[in-house]
Amino acid sequence: MSTNAIDRRRINGPQRSVEPVYLKTETSVSADSRQDGRTRTNVRPIFMRTGPLSPQATSAASPSGSAYYEQGKIRISCAIYGPRQGRKSNPRMGIFDCDFKYAPFSCSWKRSHLKSSDEKEIGLMLEQAISPAIRLDAYPKASIDAFVTVIESDGKAATISAAINCISAALVDAGIEIYDSVAACSVALMGSEFYYDCTQEEEDSAQCTLLMACMPNANEITYLLQQGKTLPEQTEKAVQTCSDLCTQIYAVICRYLQTSVEQ
Amino acid sequence: MASLILSPAEQDYIIRGVESGFRADGRSSLDRREVTLRTGMISQANGSARCRIGNLGVGTDVLVGIKAEVNAWTPGDGVPESSGVLICNVECSPSAAQEFEGRGAEELNVELTQLLDRIFNGPQSGIDFEKLCIIPKQAYWVLHVDALVLDVRGGITDALVWATRAALLSTRLPRVVVESIPDDNGVMQAEFDVVDDPDDLTELDGVENMPIAVTFSRIGRRFVVDASEQEEAVAQARMTVAVSPKMDICAVQKGGVLRGFMPTLFSEVLQTAQTIAREEFSRFEKCYAEAKSQALSQIDEPSTGSTFLVPF
Repeated sequence: MSTNAIDRRRINGPQRSVEPVYLKTETSVSADSRQDGRTRTNVRPIFMRTGPLSPQATSAASPSGSAYYEQGKIRISCAIYGPRQGRKSNPRMGIFDCDFKYAPFSCSWKRSHLKSSDEKEIGLMLEQAISPAIRLDAYPKASIDAFVTVIESDGKAATISAAINCISAALVDAGIEIYDSVAACSVALMGSEFYYDCTQEEEDSAQCTLLMACMPNANEITYLLQQGKTLPEQTEKAVQTCSDLCTQIYAVICRYLQTSVEQ
Repeated sequence: MASLILSPAEQDYIIRGVESGFRADGRSSLDRREVTLRTGMISQANGSARCRIGNLGVGTDVLVGIKAEVNAWTPGDGVPESSGVLICNVECSPSAAQEFEGRGAEELNVELTQLLDRIFNGPQSGIDFEKLCIIPKQAYWVLHVDALVLDVRGGITDALVWATRAALLSTRLPRVVVESIPDDNGVMQAEFDVVDDPDDLTELDGVENMPIAVTFSRIGRRFVVDASEQEEAVAQARMTVAVSPKMDICAVQKGGVLRGFMPTLFSEVLQTAQTIAREEFSRFEKCYAEAKSQALSQIDEPSTGSTFLVPF
């Protein structure tokens, strides 16, 4: 008997493994055409629907408002519960709580069923982006909960901004008192130009991504996040372009909400 | 942040004070509090620093330890094939505030961890991550940045970034020797050896380019820098801007759930952040040099409770 017993029931791989060599695909982004055929300043088409989750008969267990949002490959659904009695409560003003979850199949890699730390952080970001718009002082002791599920994602910053837009629409559907709807957008710096609403692939090759949420009518930036290095002038310019872009997206949301009411 | 409950009268006092340019502790709106910095007090760590922001021995207290570890590279775990990684973790200790007990600090921990990660993990931090690769596709260094928040008195992010910056600057890695050895088939294989000599250490590359963070708190219609605990309790929004020594903007993050801020104020905030960062860098250099000389003078003394606490 040899001391170095080999398990013959298994296929024994080599001791050292080497990563296969992949064929390089051209991912260079040229000046005015992107991989999906958009120009630099084009935003993926937006589709949304309010109230997909509300059943006909209103029961206490059903959400008070919901929305479904699509932007290119991104698909997000959001349900709003409340105002209702929450776990935490503040006697002076209401609490907006947001629960963000990527579906396990929503990304290019498999996500865990358990909540990861980046999902927790995005939940927090959404709270910070949306709360300034809600009239929380009108809901003392109550809690308003948003549950966001990402069915498909494409680009982290783009997904978060889509989630913000989706919650905005759902809040209106739920009839929560708000100062103004929040619209959000993201841009990414590649070379010396900012590309609007980037996909995952574009974000991966970008030096910097910037996500912004604002209330265009109230003229207030409710959230801002820059990841990566830029020159101060570039950041300033990006905030400027984002606020223009937010106004456009805001118009899209408002137009949809108006037609949905008319129907 | 730690929730301090203030009466409406107290809140009003702070807000009106700030709006007319006065703060409770006598600072102007852009003044920062004193900083006490100390490095290299944890012998088991590759680098460590403790930073306290506050006057008269009361203030936000952060302790950062850096542990380096060699990891084997496996495809698909998200690590680039020829670079090292930095993993941040922030933990708010229940010693800082009662509500941090149990899972009470969970949200804050996540927020601060991701903020630290956003500032330090990546090319924006200036750290040369390629140098942290030992053998491409085989082995790399992992730097675990673990921060412990021991006391919270406002301005937690700035203190965290100060302490992390000092800890990374004081980090020394053991030297690694890479050699090529032919295997049985005559193919050259790279192998490495970590030199086990406590005096043969190398510094990290590019750490001098690391950014510093400036946090603005919106109180009423104005912004203040380095808000105290009371000021943070009435602040409606927060904005952290990380600025590199070359005055590039490395990260921007808004915080706070109550309000947003005006777009017109943003360019002012960016400009102020740069001016303050310039001053903070020279202040940091001074504090760090002091801390370093102190650490050197105490290197032979046994580490006792008093050496850990002396400047604090």
